[in-house]
Amino acid sequence: MRDWSQQQRNRQARLDRAAAHTSGKVVAAQDIGALLEAVIEPGDRVCLEGNNQKQADFLAKALAALDPARAHDLHMVQSVLALPEHIDVFERGVASKLDFSFSGPQAGRLAKLVSANRIAVGAIHTYLELFGRYFIDLTPRVSLVCAQAADRDGNLFTGPNTEDTPVIVEATAFKSGIVIAQVNEIVDKLPRVDIPGGWVDFVVQSPKPHYIEPLFTRDPAQISEIQVLMAMMAIKGIYAPYEVQSLNHGIGFDTAAIELILPTYADSLGLKGKICGNWALNPHPALIPAIEAGFVESVHSFGSELGMEAYIRARPDVFFTGPDGSMRSNRAMCQAAGHYACDMFIGSTLQVDLYGNSSTATLGRIAGFGGAPNMGSDARGRRHASTAWLKAGREAREGRMAKGRIMPRGQKLVVQMVETFREHMAPAFVEKLDAWELAETANMDLPPVMIYGEDVTHILTEEGIANLLLCRNDEEREQAIRGVAGYTPVGLARDKRLVENLRDRGVIQRPEDLGVDKRLATRDLLAARSMKDLVRASGGLYDPPKRFRNW
Amino acid sequence: MSSYYEASARERLQNLLDPGSFQEFLPPSARAQSPHLLQLETPAAFDDGVIVGTATLGGAKVLAAAQEGGFMGGAVGEVHGAKIVGLLERALDERPAAVLLLVESGGVRLHEANAGLIAVSEIMRAVLALRSAGVPVFVLDGGQFGCFGGMGIVARLCDAVIISEEGRLGLSGPEVIETTCGVEEFDSRDRALVWRTVGGKHRYLLGEAKEIVADDIAAFRAAALALLDAKPDLSLDALAAEHEALGRRIERFGSAADATDIWRAMGLENPEKIPVLEADDFRAATAGRRL
Repeated sequence: MRDWSQQQRNRQARLDRAAAHTSGKVVAAQDIGALLEAVIEPGDRVCLEGNNQKQADFLAKALAALDPARAHDLHMVQSVLALPEHIDVFERGVASKLDFSFSGPQAGRLAKLVSANRIAVGAIHTYLELFGRYFIDLTPRVSLVCAQAADRDGNLFTGPNTEDTPVIVEATAFKSGIVIAQVNEIVDKLPRVDIPGGWVDFVVQSPKPHYIEPLFTRDPAQISEIQVLMAMMAIKGIYAPYEVQSLNHGIGFDTAAIELILPTYADSLGLKGKICGNWALNPHPALIPAIEAGFVESVHSFGSELGMEAYIRARPDVFFTGPDGSMRSNRAMCQAAGHYACDMFIGSTLQVDLYGNSSTATLGRIAGFGGAPNMGSDARGRRHASTAWLKAGREAREGRMAKGRIMPRGQKLVVQMVETFREHMAPAFVEKLDAWELAETANMDLPPVMIYGEDVTHILTEEGIANLLLCRNDEEREQAIRGVAGYTPVGLARDKRLVENLRDRGVIQRPEDLGVDKRLATRDLLAARSMKDLVRASGGLYDPPKRFRNW
Repeated sequence: MSSYYEASARERLQNLLDPGSFQEFLPPSARAQSPHLLQLETPAAFDDGVIVGTATLGGAKVLAAAQEGGFMGGAVGEVHGAKIVGLLERALDERPAAVLLLVESGGVRLHEANAGLIAVSEIMRAVLALRSAGVPVFVLDGGQFGCFGGMGIVARLCDAVIISEEGRLGLSGPEVIETTCGVEEFDSRDRALVWRTVGGKHRYLLGEAKEIVADDIAAFRAAALALLDAKPDLSLDALAAEHEALGRRIERFGSAADATDIWRAMGLENPEKIPVLEADDFRAATAGRRL
């Protein structure tokens, strides 16, 4: 008769081997190498919690230091490669296969090891896709996670940066896997329980608190007047006519500029209460003035942001907080919310092609994706209506389908916001994305496209807004994109007559068509022009990391 | 409130001096630009990054120079320096109520280093000559690049420095210190440390800046106006007293590892809270405690 409990018995065998190195669930820091050696078997699928922000850095070091003769051929499944150790495990021969989402800081080293055949990449996923596969065909055998504090029963308090921990632990713990958590402190009583102790096998107090990256802090001092102009165009040309209430903003100075002119420009247009009420967003410091001005009703977050703790604690009507007062974030939940429950995604990119495909891939770097692909794709499973969703859907369908046969359906607004030239005068608009060449050199099944052209509804540059929903065929779409591409080669190759025709139809709108006065596009419009202004706006509650201060 | 930190050199002059009173010498149309930069095929500026001219301040005649941080960080080249020296020497002839130097400079322009170094020494000599002739020279320091290198020395030769919290004053800049002495000695990316050490508040507490104001052009104007009536004491006794004070300063604080240690030793309450205070509260909290 078949043995139906092999995984459970294997789990027990691992726990038995581990018993020599632990006292109950608590493991001493110096025993962590021995513990990992006891519970990890060659070929294991291992999730090392590497997030956007918080990092299981102590466990990462310990994993990378294992003897490759005993621990080898591990298959790493983790959302983000952020620390050098995340690549060291491959370089040292401990791991050989990788499935992930984002590798920003390690993108260059990752590309090198892939081309040297030291890392076999399964796929570059979007976040929800990877989390989904944790429950289907990429379930971790061992997970190494990170929390603020634990008690002796293994209950975990994650603090504001809950991030990926719940989804990782759930997938591992309920499929006979092993969960090890590094914590900053072991205490008798936790402020709140984010992960029940029954799902956690071992806890270890790391010698140093885990690292958290302040990824979403943008110094208003670095916002340019072009960015202010583009922010004005976004508000007047997209937020206002579509009455966008629920949304996600990408990371970057372009969207920070929008956040900072809500209390000034958007308010002067009488838009308070009409736009930007409900957000799927990390607690961006740049949003503080808009919150204080009464624009923002609610914010649910993927993770937290360093320095925002006291401010969030003092604004529980806006943020999701626990009974202890601190925030509870959750990347999987917020990604799902951003995908299904938001009317709009707006974010920056590096390259856009003539079909509207956009990519942040560049040669020699395998950077993967952040949250943009899940946020920035139409939610085909959505059924609830809103003004913005219905209007976008109507624009997309009218003219393409015969009247009378149109099945009413909405569409998400997906806006790509980009200056025609980026750093070093590299054109943002290209005939062919670098992603194609990267796919070829790195042997990928498909070019890493961040947002597919069919999902993009608007492209916004300093030259104007191209409304791709209103384009009736591929030629119009191409000319609409060329029409806002300015002086880039792609822009200069536009068909002037067709572009003027598109402008007459409102497919392309220049700032003057929108009634945006370029003379007002100065930094004076920003509700905060410095980090200190953000602190002032928060009533002294926001405490920026020291690298962002000039006081 | 109009930010001094964010304004260009021309905007600062326009809003600081009496409206419409500023008349520029060697304006951009005169094309007094650096011959060295052109030879190196480096972009040059028609005013070589400094604006000099005459104006009135509260009705009193002043001469003023403003360095533009947006052009090579306000670095001093040959023509740039010559324009400032020329202004100072003109003041010797015209005897205005004061000369205002709106300094924003990382130091000498490396592209023309020797000429720039000579220019700085000429500025120093001209400042001292002017002061001994009884014309006060005031420095305004609140721009994005601070006041470092040669211009840092010049600033301390003048009668008074008006600084904002955002302003910085020093000899070697933070990056230079880190490069030569190591990140353990000084981490230039720790911006809180940088401002705590070379920023306006600490310079004011150490007595190197006479006035500290909010980041507001009107506040700089008010402080400059108030200084016009002050008569500096240039006697030998005053000089000896200043030297003695500097000697006491290094004796008292020479072993302090951080500005907060100095603030604590000065008897300031909650020294760690000093950086977050606004200019007015800061002046009140430190009244009677600074050097």
